[in-house]
Amino acid sequence: MKDLSITVCGVKFPNPFLLSSSVVSNTAEMVARAFDAGFGGVSFKGIGGPSVEIINPAPRMHSYNLGSKKLVGLQNVEQTTDRPLEDNIQDVKWLKKHYPNNPVMVNIMGFNKEEWKYLAQVFEDAGADMLELNFSCPHMSVEGSGMKVGQAFKLVGDFTDIVKRNVKIPVFAKLTSNVTDITEPAMYAKEAGADGITAVNTVRAITNIDINNFVPCPNIFGKGALSGYSGPGIKPISLKCIVELAKKEELGLPLAGCGGIETWVDVVEFLLGGASLVQMTTSIVKYGHRLAEDLVEGLSFYMEDKGFNKVEDIVGKALPNFYETKDFDLSRQGAAQFDLDRCIGCGVCYIACQDAGGQCIEWDSKKRRPIPDEEKCYSCMICSFVCPIDNPPLITFKEIKGKKIYTPPPSKL
Amino acid sequence: MKQEGKKANSKKDDYFQIEKPYTLSQAIVEADRCLLCYDPLCSQGCPAEVEPGRFIKKLRLRNLKGAFKVIKDNNILGGICGLVCPVDKLCEEKCLASGIDRVINIGKLQRFLVEYGWDIGFNPITKEKDKNVNVAVIGSGPAGLTCAAELAKKGYNVTIFEKNEKLGGILRYGIPPFKLNDDFLDREIEDVLNLGVKVKTNYEFKDKGSIENLLKDSFKAIFVSTGLTNAYRLKIPGSDSKDVFTYQDFLWQINSDKVEEIADKIKNKNVAIIGGGSVAMDVATTCKLLNANNVYCISLESMEDLPADKADLHKAIDHYVIIKPQSQIKEITTKDGKVIGVKGNEVKLLKKGDFSPSNIKEILNSEFSFNVDFVIFAIGSGVDPKIKELLPSVTFDDKGYIKVDKESLETSVKGIFAGGEVVSGPSLAVNAVRDGKRGAKSIINYLNK
Repeated sequence: MKDLSITVCGVKFPNPFLLSSSVVSNTAEMVARAFDAGFGGVSFKGIGGPSVEIINPAPRMHSYNLGSKKLVGLQNVEQTTDRPLEDNIQDVKWLKKHYPNNPVMVNIMGFNKEEWKYLAQVFEDAGADMLELNFSCPHMSVEGSGMKVGQAFKLVGDFTDIVKRNVKIPVFAKLTSNVTDITEPAMYAKEAGADGITAVNTVRAITNIDINNFVPCPNIFGKGALSGYSGPGIKPISLKCIVELAKKEELGLPLAGCGGIETWVDVVEFLLGGASLVQMTTSIVKYGHRLAEDLVEGLSFYMEDKGFNKVEDIVGKALPNFYETKDFDLSRQGAAQFDLDRCIGCGVCYIACQDAGGQCIEWDSKKRRPIPDEEKCYSCMICSFVCPIDNPPLITFKEIKGKKIYTPPPSKL
Repeated sequence: MKQEGKKANSKKDDYFQIEKPYTLSQAIVEADRCLLCYDPLCSQGCPAEVEPGRFIKKLRLRNLKGAFKVIKDNNILGGICGLVCPVDKLCEEKCLASGIDRVINIGKLQRFLVEYGWDIGFNPITKEKDKNVNVAVIGSGPAGLTCAAELAKKGYNVTIFEKNEKLGGILRYGIPPFKLNDDFLDREIEDVLNLGVKVKTNYEFKDKGSIENLLKDSFKAIFVSTGLTNAYRLKIPGSDSKDVFTYQDFLWQINSDKVEEIADKIKNKNVAIIGGGSVAMDVATTCKLLNANNVYCISLESMEDLPADKADLHKAIDHYVIIKPQSQIKEITTKDGKVIGVKGNEVKLLKKGDFSPSNIKEILNSEFSFNVDFVIFAIGSGVDPKIKELLPSVTFDDKGYIKVDKESLETSVKGIFAGGEVVSGPSLAVNAVRDGKRGAKSIINYLNK
């Protein structure tokens, strides 16, 4: 087994897998079981300022399904913790006493300047290894908090500044993707002294509207709200945010990736994209803590296969391959190649090419086989996306030297 | 109608349960596996043209009402076919998903959608304005019910004449209750009756020419779908003892209210079933479900050539039915008028499927005997010979089946059409549905000439 430890801002994590600040990190008891199962650290469930009493709505979550796939995404309207501050302080102390090697990052959210300072100090005193400032919850019921802060970049700087002036432990700013350019608030956080960025919180969204009663989901006694959406459905967005932050040279801060991570493959992608740590909730909702052993083994086997000795060596490894679209070499073209010996004759490639592609596949109805026309093919490859034959795929892209792009002629009047 | 059915079924339900249906989520999981082929082969495989490729696509795109409508428009008995069709020989046979892992469970999806449609109370069937033209349908098996429904949809005034107490024919009396129960059958027959089809049950034609004479009455056309009601027995010693039944006698009693009586008789007793087709397997499984002791299925064919549908054979074997292939029964032994055993020997068929004596080669020293208390013949059935008298002008072929034009199903008499097993001989319910649709179409053409 490879050593999966990684040191971030001077804090050593036994592995980069963290519980994110959410339902899965609500109590020390839950977190302890996650540590026992193999998670490296935790971002402890968001703790709001004591000036506002939090009562969570019921029901507070909704599963977004796709065909027979359940929990492709998870929507929630949960607020910061509804547990008393003292209980959370005691839980953090308890965790640090019993799990000294598993870093505890505490996610806090002041509802005014004083509370940011107070919460930061209290949890530093309780033994937290790091703080995570919640500038990103997209559905806070408290005015001027959560995502509203993350969208008002100056406030990101102001609150980071207050916290940084009052604690010595590293501070991460947790940002929202609900902005035009996530690197802007990240720069405010950096300039105020933040030590790292967590990206991203849930995406403001609506997964379903009940078509019978017209109420958005989850239905809270006849009312719904645009609110936080997490899980595999947002992975492409959260990964994008990590890449944008990692590519921002002036930023240069360690990153914690969050949003739709389920398997070790997702983890590797986030590491390659520039994250040093990853955080998870929806995958734990779906699979429980037992997914930790597969993250640990999967990453370890991957590192063996690829010859990586340290997790650090993977971080950002894909960044040099990210370009702007204007940089592509357009002189090189290709076409879809069909391994027809393995074709089962379903014809969905033909439908896709006719109705959504370049009409470069004909159909042999007697043999039930596609007849591809390489010259007309503009390699959109949608045929391969619908083809049911995988591993290896029946339809693959191949470069064709000197191939000219074919464009369809105009319709005859 | 449904309430009555439930009452009558209560004892039957103790012994027989039809397969559990899919839940909506399970149906969606199954539909998600479908490749949604271009020009789908499953749709080509259905004699009733139910278009599985289309209804599964509709289910996949959450158009459940539309999916239900496709099934019901194409086959008024779509639910029943979903339950009883040998799908592995029809729609599922060519399912290309087998190239990935396994075929889509089309029959079960079809049944799910029909029950779903019933449960939400959606009626997708439209009926044209009354035409005030009377058509008679003789027999209420799958061919008759379908023909009646298709005609009624087009506004014809249809009367079904059924000699039994309840509608359904072979569906009611020839299919074991673990495959299709009265509740399900009644529910689907209701869809036919809701179209305004009139019914005369317990109606038996007796006088010479009495069916034909309907044309002289107020009926403008007749569809004859009386099926095969004359189950065969082997003419061997002992075959007329009182403990020897045909499969029709047996299933009739199971499917009427006599199940308790039969169950008492058969419990812990041994039964020999003669035959190797699906009906033989169904009867054997039924005996086992009634707690019979040893149940033998004795057939001339080899194990590989058993005509039974694989699913039916496997079901019988799963219930520990003893299959005795390549064997012929020579005698049913009796003592004081009671059956005590069967005697026979092993054979080889020189040519597949030919049961003429010259083709059966007996194997030396292969004699066997089983101690059994009952014998049930499941070796097929023929047309009731009386039907010829009821249709004296109609031409029959040398096997006793009604001769028809293959396309139009018109008999030698203008205005009289026929379909189902009385024309084709032993066949599938879904083929009878096809005949019913075809017959209705031809009758409409004929009436509009």
